[in-house]
Amino acid sequence: MVDMDPGTLVTIVTIIVAGVGIVIGAIAPAIAEGRAVEKALESIARQPDSAGDLRTTLLIAMALLESTAIYVLLVVLILLFANPLLDRFF
Amino acid sequence: MEEVFPEVVFSLFRIPVRDTVVSTWVMMALIIAVVLIVRRLKPTALELVVDFLADFIAEIMRRPADPFLPLLGSLALFIAVGNVIGLVPFLKSPTSDLNTTVALSLVVFVAVHVYGVRTMGLITYLKSLASPIFLLPLELISQISRTISLSIRLFGNVFSAEIIIAILFALAPLIVPLPLQGFSIFTGLLQAYIFTALAAVYIAAGLPNETEEIKQKDGENEFREYINNKLESEPKE
Repeated sequence: MVDMDPGTLVTIVTIIVAGVGIVIGAIAPAIAEGRAVEKALESIARQPDSAGDLRTTLLIAMALLESTAIYVLLVVLILLFANPLLDRFF
Repeated sequence: MEEVFPEVVFSLFRIPVRDTVVSTWVMMALIIAVVLIVRRLKPTALELVVDFLADFIAEIMRRPADPFLPLLGSLALFIAVGNVIGLVPFLKSPTSDLNTTVALSLVVFVAVHVYGVRTMGLITYLKSLASPIFLLPLELISQISRTISLSIRLFGNVFSAEIIIAILFALAPLIVPLPLQGFSIFTGLLQAYIFTALAAVYIAAGLPNETEEIKQKDGENEFREYINNKLESEPKE
């Protein structure tokens, strides 16, 4: 931090934030999806007849949960490859 | 790594045309050619595809799939072929460009309202959007956010798979990217399934749910008949 030019500082902060962000953004949907699958498996074990209905609903719900991880991924990709802040310095 | 991002190939009347658009044209020609050839040689194969899509859509929407099959079926085919065609050399997945996926989800956004107005009429449909009236802002926000999420989900999945494959290709180009390419076929088809399923759910949510009421009434009647039969068959005291 001694005499760092602003471009380097922004780059470093961007990389750190991208790493931390994708970690948190991957953990939360993974837990949520695990819970959803757990409940679905429990109810399939209890009522095997409802497996067809549950599969469709589960896939849609998983897609909705998965999309939060993908939003984070998109933000991280923008930060790493198309950072709008870096264009001011380089 | 740079090859992952879409590039402008040429300009048509000052509109920049990206390579994803060119591969969309190739893809369209390919689909039409395959359909024309298969229709001549083995029409039952096409029937199989259409039947599968119709069953799938009817199961999700819980109503006859006929009015929705042209839109949702072609969405499913377009996205499935578009996700997979990125594996062909010199071609790029059209869905790895945000413009394509936004266009697709805007089609779904308009289709929800078109189908709603067509079945209920304009006034009734607008009333059903705003009932009760204080839920109208939430309804508007959900309409917009679901359109954005629909497009970004598809784009993020396809694009991230391509980036991962490109990074692995830079590290170990020989065999290592192969399993991931196989996995990208799987996720591509799954994303086509999910996009179609969500579009079907959104369209069905904008329609009046009359079929379910009928089904419930049928169930009640069956139950009543069953009880009556049981009561009659039992010996009276």
